[in-house]
Amino acid sequence: MKMRSILTVDDDENDLFICTYTIQRFDPDIRILKALNGLEALNLLKETTPDAIILDINMPVMNGFEFLEHYTREFETHAPVVAMLTSSHHAADRERALRYDFVKNYFEKPLTPENLKAMATFLGDERDRRAGL
Amino acid sequence: MRQDILARYCGMLAGAASIAIGAAVMILWLARPMDLAEAAPTLFAMQFNAALCFVLAGAAICLLLNGALPLSAGLSGLAGLLAAATLAEHLLHVDLGIDRMFVAPFVSPGTGPAGRMAPNTALCFLLLSASVALTALLGRSSSPLRVVLAGLVFMISTTALIGYLLSVSTAREWLPLARMSPQSAFCFATLSIGLILGGIVRLGYDLSTVAATLGAATYLLLVLMTYVELIQRGEDGGLPAEGADARSTLLAILLLSGAVYACLIVYAFRNSERSRRMALQLAESQKRLEAIIQTAVDGFVTIDERGTILSANPACERIFGYQVEEIIGRNVKLLMPAPYRDEHDRYLANYRQTGVARIIGAGREAEGQRKDGSTFPVELSVSRIDLGHQVLYGGILRDISERKRHERDILDANAELEEFSYRTSHDLRSPIASSLGLVAIAEDMVRREVPAAELQGVLARIETSFRKLDHLIQNIISLTRTKMLDEPESAIAVAGAVRETVERLRHMEGGAVSTVHIDIPETMTLRKRASRFQIILDNLLSNAIKYHDPAEAMPEISVRAACDRGRFVLTVADNGLGIAAADEPKLFQMFKRFHPQRAEGSGLGLYILRKSVEQLGGTVAYRRREKGSLFTVTLPQEDRR
Repeated sequence: MKMRSILTVDDDENDLFICTYTIQRFDPDIRILKALNGLEALNLLKETTPDAIILDINMPVMNGFEFLEHYTREFETHAPVVAMLTSSHHAADRERALRYDFVKNYFEKPLTPENLKAMATFLGDERDRRAGL
Repeated sequence: MRQDILARYCGMLAGAASIAIGAAVMILWLARPMDLAEAAPTLFAMQFNAALCFVLAGAAICLLLNGALPLSAGLSGLAGLLAAATLAEHLLHVDLGIDRMFVAPFVSPGTGPAGRMAPNTALCFLLLSASVALTALLGRSSSPLRVVLAGLVFMISTTALIGYLLSVSTAREWLPLARMSPQSAFCFATLSIGLILGGIVRLGYDLSTVAATLGAATYLLLVLMTYVELIQRGEDGGLPAEGADARSTLLAILLLSGAVYACLIVYAFRNSERSRRMALQLAESQKRLEAIIQTAVDGFVTIDERGTILSANPACERIFGYQVEEIIGRNVKLLMPAPYRDEHDRYLANYRQTGVARIIGAGREAEGQRKDGSTFPVELSVSRIDLGHQVLYGGILRDISERKRHERDILDANAELEEFSYRTSHDLRSPIASSLGLVAIAEDMVRREVPAAELQGVLARIETSFRKLDHLIQNIISLTRTKMLDEPESAIAVAGAVRETVERLRHMEGGAVSTVHIDIPETMTLRKRASRFQIILDNLLSNAIKYHDPAEAMPEISVRAACDRGRFVLTVADNGLGIAAADEPKLFQMFKRFHPQRAEGSGLGLYILRKSVEQLGGTVAYRRREKGSLFTVTLPQEDRR
């Protein structure tokens, strides 16, 4: 399933650059939205709902988990696919993130085209499920 | 030891008395005062040989007590020999010529052959000298036998003495056992007492028990002799024949009552001895227990069934702040804070009814309340004391505030360490992951043959990633050094150190933008560990430079230092970005970053600052200014370590 827009949430400028470059090389048609932390992301999401969100965990002001908590409580419609993108793998973090039903993936940095392919597959599944309802 | 001395003196006194009486009688026999013999024939009831034997025996005992053992054994052997010969004469009805060996008797007060000592006197001498000789030759091991032999002599002599006391005229008509002059009986009694005393002191027997036993034995002997005499009288026809039955009943009763009485005396004495010993032991163990409770670090409290405090030890004063007298008689609830206080009555009542205990038998943690109202954690163990007529509860309590504080400190340190390892594992990998991603992009760009300028941008990004990693590693190193470094103190010129630091930081990004005012007396020095103080300066100043406000026309930093009442106070004020009020509580925690626009921070700077200041025994505080921040570091000038 083709993704049309992705929101990347990361405080690290380099990581944002990597995401942008990788997504553009994957599919130049995807619209890329950027946020430096959870709070910025929430403000952005009030206006638009992208097909997917790529979310870092460790960020100042509002971290990934705080963002997930606000997002699930304050928003009725959620992006179909939310993928966690983190620099190191912690079983406890992974478990905690996957408890939210809109979190579909848990990736380790750096982002790769394979990660994006997996997200696209999940997006297709999610669309089918929602259409079936 | 005192008993030992007493026994020795008694022995010496008895020996001396015996020698004196023996010698006096010997002189009388040698002086032959005819008038005196007619006036007081009793004086001559003691034969010359017997008097000689008393002198010998008395001397033997004195020598024995003074340690001249062979001589003592010799003298007592001599006396024993004389006595044995006399006894042989009596038993075999022969005359060996020893009766008149030393003097020719001029009076004969007794019934036996002139000059011959009575058979029981001879027997007593034999026993006495055997006792002395055994002690002298065998020493300590003979002590029980010595006491038994001397005891026999004591019984015979006191029987004779009592006989005299009861009826002087018939005494000599009693059994041969009692046929002994009163002065002989007296000497025997004293000598035997001396010997017995020495013996039992050595053996460690109880004095009063032995005395009671001897008394009872003597009494039995007397009763036995009376019985024998009565029977003899009966056979001689002294009493009417028709009274024979009544007489034998009387005799039987006499004998039986004597035996029972003797047993009772011994039993009573033994019993009283035992209870005296038990009372002593009880008092001793009570004293010991009292000492333990009085000096214990733990508090001991006893309460009755209603919760009234019956006793408390001095430790309770220290723990609760009350005087012991203040709390005795009051309810134990006084020592408990709110939830426990209200539950306690119900709990006690419940336990009385159901017997279900929550604390009894098992220690548990509870809370105590001091006199000043402050509460503290206590470890409490309660035991039930069933006194039969009353049930008490004994509580042992220990103030565990310190332990709890340590526990909390350890938990905090552990949590901090866990947080540290979690964050470092993340933050260390983060720049590496970025670099890996950027390298992959660079390769992709090379494949696509993009312009070199575009590639240059990616390489610059790789560099910033590595710089970030390097910065983090430097921070971690300085943090571990803060903990590990054992550095001597040195005098630091504060103004110079600040100037040098500012100069060095000019080269960092934004370092040239801010104007730095330094207001520190040139002469001010501080005795501290230099590298730690440098870490403090670096952090304060680099933060002030890094987080200046780009929108501010005149970025300014002012550094002041002052010494005030033994404290060194360093302040760094800036008109930079400041910190949001909501972030202030987390300011000095590890891995907290407050400026999302400035991603290069590791989040460790202020944490390292706080740790370094604490290492030097000081404190660090933050105050929000109208514009910017004010950090105040306070250090004690006399380093406590």
